Amino acid sequence: MLIFYIWVSVRLLIMTTESRRDIFQAIADPTRRRIIELLSTKPMNLVTLAEHFEISRPAISQQIKVLEECSVIETRREGRETFCSIRPGELKKLADWAERYAPLWEEKINAFEAYVNKLHSSKNNKHGKAK
Amino acid sequence: MEKLNEIDKRVLTIKKTFDAPRRIVWEAWTNPDHIIHWWAPSGMKIQVLCHEFKVGGQWKYSMPMPDGSEFISEGVYSEIDEPSKIVTSANFRPMTEGVTIHVLFEEENGKTHFTFSVVHPTEEYCRQQEKMGFYNGWGSAFVRLDEFVGSAGVEE
Repeated sequence: MLIFYIWVSVRLLIMTTESRRDIFQAIADPTRRRIIELLSTKPMNLVTLAEHFEISRPAISQQIKVLEECSVIETRREGRETFCSIRPGELKKLADWAERYAPLWEEKINAFEAYVNKLHSSKNNKHGKAK
Repeated sequence: MEKLNEIDKRVLTIKKTFDAPRRIVWEAWTNPDHIIHWWAPSGMKIQVLCHEFKVGGQWKYSMPMPDGSEFISEGVYSEIDEPSKIVTSANFRPMTEGVTIHVLFEEENGKTHFTFSVVHPTEEYCRQQEKMGFYNGWGSAFVRLDEFVGSAGVEE
């Protein structure tokens, strides 16, 4: 277990030091992770978003800028307000990546169930045709 | 009784009822021609390196990673009672090691009650795995994200 966490951390560290603006850099910072979590429930304007944090609004703006460069969120200005929303496509990459390593038995069993259903119905069809 | 309780603390169990007769569920679970279709997470492929379906027989699947490495799942069958029970050791390095998987198949009115249990060597390890796979913030976040991506994907 510990090895797994170390391995993930090292992976993330390598990705961060490579300074790539991608999803992995986006989630390397706890504030940015919290922003992603908040925005994945609903889009918010910057002021509302900043209210969830102890740190200053400019500091949040800075993190928003990084997230935008990582293509994880997008911002839209309306008058004096800035609206932030999630771009789910990038987050999906992260989910896909992590899925390979997590012992998601439940997903495996769900995949198995889907396959059993498919197999069962294809056998039924064949049987029906034979009649 | 104490012993049973003690084992309970080290087990993660998933129960399902499949709308298919037991022989089909058994076949899908045990035949490598079928296993390759459901074992790997979506978008990934697996290769069956070995599949000796007998007591003491080894199974070993490989999943190639995008970075060129291979992810190996393997184990040894310790009990096969066709068509109702399979027990096997299992290693999914690097994240799950030294667990025992018990799979039970019970038929009732053309449906199959399916019980999948993962027995961990210690309670602590079980809790860690549980957090990681089921209740961990990331785990549940991914489920939500998947739903979110699924619904947002239509617009994209």
